[in-house]
Amino acid sequence: MTVSTCMKRHVVSIHSSDSIRSAAAIFVKKHIGLLPVVDDKNKVIGVVGLRDLLTLEMPDFIEFIEDVDFVHDFGAVETTRPDAETLDQPVTSILKSVFTVEEDCGLLRAYALMLQHNLHDMPVVNKKGELVGITSRVDIGTKILSLWSSVE
Amino acid sequence: MLAGIIVVVIFFGSLYLIFSEKLNRTITALAGSVLTIVVGRIMGFYSEEQAITAIDFNTLGLLLGMMILVAMLEPTGFFQYLAVLAARSSKGNPTRLFILLAAITTILSMFLDNVTTVVLIAPVTLLICEILGIMSMPFLITEALISNIGGVATLVGDPPNVLIASAAPFSFNDFLIHSLPIVLVVWVGVMFLLKYLFRAELDVRPRKAKAVMKLNPAETLNHPATARQLLIVLGAAILFFFVHHFLHVDPSLVALTAAALALVWVRPDINQTLKHVEWSVLVFFGALFVMVGGLEAAGVLDALIGLLEPLASVPPILFGIGMIWVVALLSAVVDNVPITIALIPVIHGLGASGMDVQPLWWALAFGAGFGGTGTIIGSTANVIVANLSERTRHPITPAIWNKRGPWVLLTTCAITSVLYAILYWTF
Repeated sequence: MTVSTCMKRHVVSIHSSDSIRSAAAIFVKKHIGLLPVVDDKNKVIGVVGLRDLLTLEMPDFIEFIEDVDFVHDFGAVETTRPDAETLDQPVTSILKSVFTVEEDCGLLRAYALMLQHNLHDMPVVNKKGELVGITSRVDIGTKILSLWSSVE
Repeated sequence: MLAGIIVVVIFFGSLYLIFSEKLNRTITALAGSVLTIVVGRIMGFYSEEQAITAIDFNTLGLLLGMMILVAMLEPTGFFQYLAVLAARSSKGNPTRLFILLAAITTILSMFLDNVTTVVLIAPVTLLICEILGIMSMPFLITEALISNIGGVATLVGDPPNVLIASAAPFSFNDFLIHSLPIVLVVWVGVMFLLKYLFRAELDVRPRKAKAVMKLNPAETLNHPATARQLLIVLGAAILFFFVHHFLHVDPSLVALTAAALALVWVRPDINQTLKHVEWSVLVFFGALFVMVGGLEAAGVLDALIGLLEPLASVPPILFGIGMIWVVALLSAVVDNVPITIALIPVIHGLGASGMDVQPLWWALAFGAGFGGTGTIIGSTANVIVANLSERTRHPITPAIWNKRGPWVLLTTCAITSVLYAILYWTF
């Protein structure tokens, strides 16, 4: 069973010149976790994850304090939004390099790669390297579990 | 004569590399000290045995003992605990929080290394400021500045003090009698100054003052039992520091005994604990001692004392005050440890030529300690805070520092000069 059996074929992407603000709007509208960024020729030049956008709102202390369990109320940080200047930056300012698998990749291998690269969503490409779909840990994981029903 | 010239060239060449930061200070000092010994062996004025005796093991032992104790106390979360207590008792009032955090930093830096104090208190300060919705910059700068000032108060507070105490020699109580009162006055003066310099940032109403009341201090302690054990040992060590000279025991033995006791009692993963000991600092100190030993063996210091003889006619109070300022200004731009190590034999020399050098030791301690406040690179504590802030949304730039640091340096040195003149007869 390959990863092509459990990927979403309709992939939403964003152009590299678009702003962080418009990327956020797409995440909200489509309820997705990963957004491929494409250039004028529709070629994927990188990705932006939900996490990358949320980092913009994360307080600074998260990076320095290992265990924040004792902070029961984030207070002012809870309502601090990124400023307009940050939101109007092009989405490429927070671009991450893309990690993909080919559509004939086995399910377990795809899942292992996502674990090792700490990915929750992963673009799927064909032999020519063109984007053909996107898959997630849940997509692959549930597909694998569905095969357990055949275990006698 | 030739030997003297060669060791002077090695010594000042090493200082140049250290001060210009062209080469790591520990690597430079280690290479310089080895070179001094090699030259000494070839020319026959300095041997390995002499080099070993030149190392002040009292200084190294005291630093090592305190570093081990701190390395064990660090993971317990005790520092976060104190800062959270301060946040709660401030009830979210920025000025009250400002004074409480500064007071905690001062007290910690009196007994622990300034860098450690700042490394542990700055992250939780950032947290408190962020949940209150106020600027963290004034708090972070103040903690670095005030840790430099607090460190001057005690024998164990700052490496230059450890060096001076061992050279003079001064006891723990000597510092409490001569240094602590001056530090207290300087502290009050500097806090008024900082409150004024940061008035715009501190006279605000925090957006979420109530959030700090939901911080639970008890939950900040990762290992309450270990923290208790270590505080008992540290408390006992401080008690013994008070009486070490009555018992004719060197402070280094007190610190090492405390470290050994704590290790036996807590039994931590020793490899982890030793990883947190700053070996590079200890090697740096040892290597500098070897280089200064070489200068002494080559007769450079005797020659220098001859040159300094005319200075004996300068009025001693002026000489001392001059020393405070010169050492402070130097320490503001370069590392105060090599300055102190280089000046110790000079003061010894002045003593040998008949000058009363007791007050000069104190001038050196004040200058080396307070000088670090002047610039963003003036002390390691400042650099640590600046580096931490660079990873936040509001980095502390040299320009931001320079609007406050030099004023703090001037204020501390001015207050100290006046008190120094008034208290001169007590030194």
